[in-house]
Amino acid sequence: MVRLITHNLLACHAKGCTSNNFPLQFQNVQIELKEAEFNPTFLETFMPKLEWKALVDSAKEASATISRYILGNTSLPLEQPEMLDEEFLKNLHHVLLEIHVEEGIMICPNCKHNYPISNGIPNMLLAEHEIG
Amino acid sequence: MSKYLVVFAQAHQEFRIPELESVSQLYDFKVSLPDERDLYRPYMVIGLESEDHARLLAKRCILIKSIYEFYGQGKNYEELHLCNRAKRKLWERYIPETSFKFIVTAYNHTIPQSRQKKVVESFSYMDFMGKIDMKNPEITLGCFEEYETRSGKTRERHEGDGDFRQVYFGRLIEEGSARSLIQVFDVKKRSYYGNTSMEAEISLLMANQTLASPGKLIYDPFMGTGSMAYPVAYFGAQVMGSDIDGRQMRGKATPGVFRAASQYGVSSRMIDICTFDVTNNPWRCGELFDAIVTDPPYGVRAGAKRLGRKKELDADRLTLYHEHRINPRPDDQPYIPPTRPYELSNLAVDLVLLARYLLKPGGRLVFFLPTVTDQYEEVDIYTMLCDGMEVIANSLQDFGTWGRRLVTIRKVTSRKYLPPNFCAQEEVGEIHIPAHRDFREKYFQGFKKVETEP
Repeated sequence: MVRLITHNLLACHAKGCTSNNFPLQFQNVQIELKEAEFNPTFLETFMPKLEWKALVDSAKEASATISRYILGNTSLPLEQPEMLDEEFLKNLHHVLLEIHVEEGIMICPNCKHNYPISNGIPNMLLAEHEIG
Repeated sequence: MSKYLVVFAQAHQEFRIPELESVSQLYDFKVSLPDERDLYRPYMVIGLESEDHARLLAKRCILIKSIYEFYGQGKNYEELHLCNRAKRKLWERYIPETSFKFIVTAYNHTIPQSRQKKVVESFSYMDFMGKIDMKNPEITLGCFEEYETRSGKTRERHEGDGDFRQVYFGRLIEEGSARSLIQVFDVKKRSYYGNTSMEAEISLLMANQTLASPGKLIYDPFMGTGSMAYPVAYFGAQVMGSDIDGRQMRGKATPGVFRAASQYGVSSRMIDICTFDVTNNPWRCGELFDAIVTDPPYGVRAGAKRLGRKKELDADRLTLYHEHRINPRPDDQPYIPPTRPYELSNLAVDLVLLARYLLKPGGRLVFFLPTVTDQYEEVDIYTMLCDGMEVIANSLQDFGTWGRRLVTIRKVTSRKYLPPNFCAQEEVGEIHIPAHRDFREKYFQGFKKVETEP
């Protein structure tokens, strides 16, 4: 269940792949929505750690390419807002924590390494020739 | 500050004070500990600023049985009563009409009924007018006699009665409620566990060392079957986990870690579990986590592994390998990369460096380190430290010839560090070889000293 919060923290780490290795691109994904408890403090403290553009893009991607899922409101402002109102935090909560990618692949935009997701668990292991 | 009497559970003595200090830090209040403290004694008089703090301790500390407002102590009852009379101000408001109950009990001893009654009667000068209510009293007064350990000797029933080391007296503030969590997290009742799952009590103690609470993000890099994650999530934190071997986390059908998490009602806080080798990890940046809690595999039942080969491939086989990578076999089986053993003392050094990179300033690394009892020296712990990381607790769980130490390390720096390169074993000029080096080999040799040729 790769959630978008996790996706936002994972970069390709194959040997020598150090630029343009984030965000990983989703392909052939199956999504599930699961309610999570709303914790505004957690969101506020975690926000500075997010790569905002990557998050906005993957939220868009999730809602556009897989329209057969009812995703709720995935629209986030293009810039991280200064004022955090309840509505914004609820959207952020939904995007970060309630969208679960159960199956699919994450592909490195640079070296094209495929990281498969199966049963909600991403396999980020590297092959022998890819480790440092 | 007022004084409170803590009655500890008879378990994990070395973990008691670290737990008290962690919980008080979590709720941001002060605890003053006695100057002379004997870790192995079950009663301790501590100073707190308010009764509420005592209640918080009793609700969160796994090793606290109960907390009393402290009225007195002594080598004998004369001393105790003298002390108690002097504290009259603390209890005189209960004299007129408060219903009460008296308990008289002992550590390492059973007091005969007849003397229990006499003890209660010796407090008659307190002149409580309220009725005695054994079921729902408004207050409970407790009197505790502490005897020396006399285990291993046969003795008559009640032998040595009254020959105690110290006696304590006070009013019950709160019965400890966190101990019941040991039953809740009992591994035997868990829907998913493995042969190296951590016992419930210890995993709860570890959770308290992490200062787990709502809003925090906590990571376990050797997640296994997730034993440390459940209590941490239960206390409100969000959890991330990873393991080099996905089978441990996964089990069959629905991933086991998620099944167990739902059993405890914490699956929404189990953010994600990922398969990767922590020495080749995909974390995009540092300073992500409030705490890292883990029980690294140290080789007795499951050895630590990292990606790589024990022996490098020769040229021919390397060519073959590259061909296979380009044209994978059509059997649709996932590729499983080769692994090599990860020596414990190297792992420990790497773990501290990784924690310094991944923890937020002030964050904590909490983990177990197995040690050989005869060979352990305190300096062993310090050989794995690096700048900016400080040991704040080190508690032994003793198994005889070996033991494991729960080590809590705090990140005391706000400097930003690069990710570690995980090459500890390649570094030369090491001055001190810690006793946990090659722990697995030592374990299977029964910790015998290596005989040197004459």
